Amino acid sequence: MAETLFCKNTETFAESLARCGVKYHFAYPITPATDVMKRMAVILPKYGGKMMQMESELAVSSAVAGAACTGTLVATSTSGPGFDLMQEAIGFMCGADLPCIILDSMRVGPGDGDIVGAQSDYYMATRGGGHGDYRVPVLAPCEGQEIADLMPHAVKLAYTYLTPVLFVIDGVTAQTTETTTVPDYHDYSAEFDVSGWQYTGTEYHPKRALITGSYAHEDGYKMNERLRAKYEVIREKEQMWKEDSIEDAEMIVVAFGIHGRMCRDLVKKMRADGKKVGCIRPVTLWPFPDKAFEKLPASCRQILVIEMNHGQMVDDVRLAVNGRLPVHFFGKTGGDTPMYTLREMIAETSRLMGE
Amino acid sequence: MASLKERYGQTLNLDKLTSYCPGCGHGVVTRLVAECIEELDIRERAISIVGIGCGGFSHHYMDIDAIEATHGRSASFAVGYKLARPDRIVFTYQGDGDTSAIGIGDTMHAANKGMPLTCIMVNNTVFGMTGGQMSPTTLEGQVTATTVNGRDCSWQGYPLLVPEMMRAMPGVKFLARETIGSPKQILHAKKSLKKAFECQIKGLGFAFVEMIVPCPTGLKMPPLKAYDWLRDRMIPYFQPQVFKDEVE
Repeated sequence: MAETLFCKNTETFAESLARCGVKYHFAYPITPATDVMKRMAVILPKYGGKMMQMESELAVSSAVAGAACTGTLVATSTSGPGFDLMQEAIGFMCGADLPCIILDSMRVGPGDGDIVGAQSDYYMATRGGGHGDYRVPVLAPCEGQEIADLMPHAVKLAYTYLTPVLFVIDGVTAQTTETTTVPDYHDYSAEFDVSGWQYTGTEYHPKRALITGSYAHEDGYKMNERLRAKYEVIREKEQMWKEDSIEDAEMIVVAFGIHGRMCRDLVKKMRADGKKVGCIRPVTLWPFPDKAFEKLPASCRQILVIEMNHGQMVDDVRLAVNGRLPVHFFGKTGGDTPMYTLREMIAETSRLMGE
Repeated sequence: MASLKERYGQTLNLDKLTSYCPGCGHGVVTRLVAECIEELDIRERAISIVGIGCGGFSHHYMDIDAIEATHGRSASFAVGYKLARPDRIVFTYQGDGDTSAIGIGDTMHAANKGMPLTCIMVNNTVFGMTGGQMSPTTLEGQVTATTVNGRDCSWQGYPLLVPEMMRAMPGVKFLARETIGSPKQILHAKKSLKKAFECQIKGLGFAFVEMIVPCPTGLKMPPLKAYDWLRDRMIPYFQPQVFKDEVE
């Protein structure tokens, strides 16, 4: 049954995973992602699954990879330092064409950093994260309802393209408590036939061996060409973004996650003052929604990117805009208030607009 | 005359020449594992999770599904796999570098979890594939590519005894160290390997077998000399024995 919950968005994430068919969740405690594994430990047995706490994130992602080999839908959740450790098996799963769902509830880095929310894992998330030429589809919901709404799509992405799918949620959004309607139980992975690739023994198929290492240099070339073809399709078909009032905008603000959510109020308030401001909120960070920037309105004079970091997504915006318009950046990370307030966002937007 | 398949069964892939060096212990261990799988009739549900290193080739000589894991993580891969598919017979086949250097955490925690899994550690005291560097199990004074004056235990550590580290873990139900220096030792080793699989088939818990074998290439010795070295140096230190047998 669909259910309306008032809970933390990390818990909404867990509910959405379980209700979309995730059977096994592997994790290691880390703020601000621990609530996902806590909730999974409680709810997964109701769906015939289990949450398994591992001894490190290195072991977590390895266990996820091992479980994914069976064709079963599996997931994990972590934050920056744990996400670092998981890269080994995430890269492996990309090379091995294995599906899974991963959450990086972003906090301040580098090193141990701080447990307050941030968006500073943008590069890591969108550039692959480990060694080698690979990418991971990245979804960046900005509120609880969007987490629940995106989860079926995430599972479909993972099984359509046989790839890990990554959610990046800034720690502020992740820890926000709000009202969300989570869906009925439906195992979206069951809609996909995995018999053509799962490694479940010669009882079902002639010998299969999962090999990502090259025995001949040609193997490595072929693996990368296969991945390149996959990523080209994903780039073409899977860009997602939301637009708000850009038709006649003179200034377009680009933000994701919590800042993207705040831009709804920014646009409303500044429009009420007669300022023509619009917003583009990327929902997929990889593939980056280049298409949103292909046909900007002739009225647009400049673009402002707001992030909870020192400027990461702004690079992708500049690549998409390709010098056609000035692209400004406004962002901070860490501290008691690890992000700009709506008032500060409006002040900066107004300043750039010359008022 | 009976065909090779009729004589040896389906598991061992006799069509492929192995890539193991002359005198390498992996050839014997790989064949023993294949024989155990054949005799226990688990070929169709057996999953081999191999490590990085020469042991990673082992699955090519068996007609079973296989996963080549990341370096050292075979045991964690196996834990995840077994949780999702408890009906499969999952075993790891790893070298001493994979099991006891980069993967010691994965190995120990998998053992402590006590899930029904079979881990086979083939210990030849060197990193064979990368050209004979020191591993955690390299003997005191042993010359390798990275211990040019012999392993100095005062700062390079002592040769690690992995089964002894697992001995106190209640979840470990079968625990042995075996070797392949003589036909008698090979037969004994096979008994332990078979029990390590039976332990999993019966769902009793974690099973671990360390196999002490020579690496003539890594030791830079002809095969016969490497077997002498196995007898005179390795076996006295490692002392093969069955530490724990709760399979009966």
